[in-house]
Amino acid sequence: MTDTIIEIDSITKRYGEVLAVDDLSFAVGAGEICGLLGPNGAGKTTTLRMLVGLQRPSKGEARLFGRTVVPSTRDLSRVGVLIEQAAFVPHASGRDNLRWWWESTGQSMRDADLDTALRIADLGSAIDRNVKTYSQGMKQRLGFARLLLARPEVLILDEPTNGLDPGEIREIRELLRGLASGGATVLLSSHHLDEVQQICTSAVVMDRGRLVTAGSVADLIGTHGVVYIEVDDAPRAADVLRALAPVRNVAVDGNGLIVSASGPRSDLVAALVGAGIRVETVTAQQRLEDAFLGLIEDKDAS
Amino acid sequence: MALVRVELVKATKRLRTLIAFAVALGIPALIGVAVHSGDRRRRPDGLFTLTRQTGLVLPAVALSLMSAFFLVVIAAMFAGDTIAGEAASGNLRYLLLRPLSRARLLWVKALIAFVLTWVTTVAVTLSGLGVGVALFGWHPLVLPFGGAPLSTTTLLSHLMLATGYVAVGLTAVVAVGVFFSTLTDSPAGAIGGAVGLYIVADILDAVDPLGVLRYGLPTHYTDAWETLFTRGTTSHDLVAGVIVQAAWLVVFGALATWWFRRKDIAS
Repeated sequence: MTDTIIEIDSITKRYGEVLAVDDLSFAVGAGEICGLLGPNGAGKTTTLRMLVGLQRPSKGEARLFGRTVVPSTRDLSRVGVLIEQAAFVPHASGRDNLRWWWESTGQSMRDADLDTALRIADLGSAIDRNVKTYSQGMKQRLGFARLLLARPEVLILDEPTNGLDPGEIREIRELLRGLASGGATVLLSSHHLDEVQQICTSAVVMDRGRLVTAGSVADLIGTHGVVYIEVDDAPRAADVLRALAPVRNVAVDGNGLIVSASGPRSDLVAALVGAGIRVETVTAQQRLEDAFLGLIEDKDAS
Repeated sequence: MALVRVELVKATKRLRTLIAFAVALGIPALIGVAVHSGDRRRRPDGLFTLTRQTGLVLPAVALSLMSAFFLVVIAAMFAGDTIAGEAASGNLRYLLLRPLSRARLLWVKALIAFVLTWVTTVAVTLSGLGVGVALFGWHPLVLPFGGAPLSTTTLLSHLMLATGYVAVGLTAVVAVGVFFSTLTDSPAGAIGGAVGLYIVADILDAVDPLGVLRYGLPTHYTDAWETLFTRGTTSHDLVAGVIVQAAWLVVFGALATWWFRRKDIAS
């Protein structure tokens, strides 16, 4: 059993009549890379803001390292945060921004991990240019550099690869893996589900402020996957499968069927064979995106 | 102190801070040149009547003209930008992701707004003094209503007192500007709110039926320092003016702190 580093405990956030987060609970253990998934408006960013003390929960509490999060908590010195887009003082250079941010609490730059930060930022001579001349990708890289100054034990990242090109995304992926293997805990929200599938060990799925499911990425994919089945009579096979309760969607593709379903694949095969249909091939298409869409559709249906 | 240093450096690196200082230095020079080259047969009003006697009056003229609106706008700009400026650039959340109390951040930013306002006011005086002495010389002042002339030493001390009073007289604008800055993510809105409140106060101050209520308005004692140059004396109004400004600082400072500490940071 790993130590729990991040805890969201029955948290609710209400803005007037709007319920942004509704009785949400989940936990992230030490060394985990956890993806926080959900469609737009699911409440992911609000949840992350409450986790770092930028917003106060209407009910429940968030905990870091076992302590309740309050605004400006000392525990923030152990946490690196990137919420939505990285933002800086636009009329100052990247280097000044890093220095000012670090020194604002009275710490010396000698205590900061500036070498790592500058290596990650990889801005070359642009580090001494005003930030207002930076592209979105450069700002995002500088944002990573800033959060790494403190050698954080926990990273809380909201859409961290926004604005980055594929090469940069891969670098960030490797960076997060490296930090996690060194013991850091990561909670990240992302719309790039293939990225989450590659990086994350666990995932929390939210919709309309509520928890849909939480668990390991492997489990989520396994129980909510998409299967490609090649048969001798695709139209009839599609009718057979559509009648099954766990099947959410069936698309006919030549002699093949692309089936989105929860539950064991053997049930699908048994139903087809029972209906006298010859099954040639069964291939699992293990994509988190399909599992995610399946979960959201299930939630909508219920 | 580290936070004060960082915030001060950030503020002074802003182009508009430098422009404000440049304008504060330039306008007294313009006034001096205008008076010096203007038609000497025309009878000027108020402090202008004394300008040609000695260069030590020009800074007082500049303070009188600029404290009515220019310095109010500058003070509102420095104050309105404190929190809302950071929010507008999206940087506020990152400042608050350090173990740094919100109240401390607010007070330091308010302090920087005060310091910049005071520096701008002093710049007006210094510029007026330099240009005034160059154009009109270094002489005592004969008062328009009789009495002993004011020596250059006395004029200098009055000038220092007047500069301090005008700077303190902008306290309410800064306090209200900082409060509005915690309410909105738009610096322009916060600046407009502070200037708007000052204009409303100025209008209400002209409504006699309001009676003693006018004494609590931040604009009521704005010109109280001018007797230093027209009569050579101080008045109780100077003390009353400082007390009114302090009251506005306490009320709006407390409101700003209370609100900013409980505010959800969404920008």
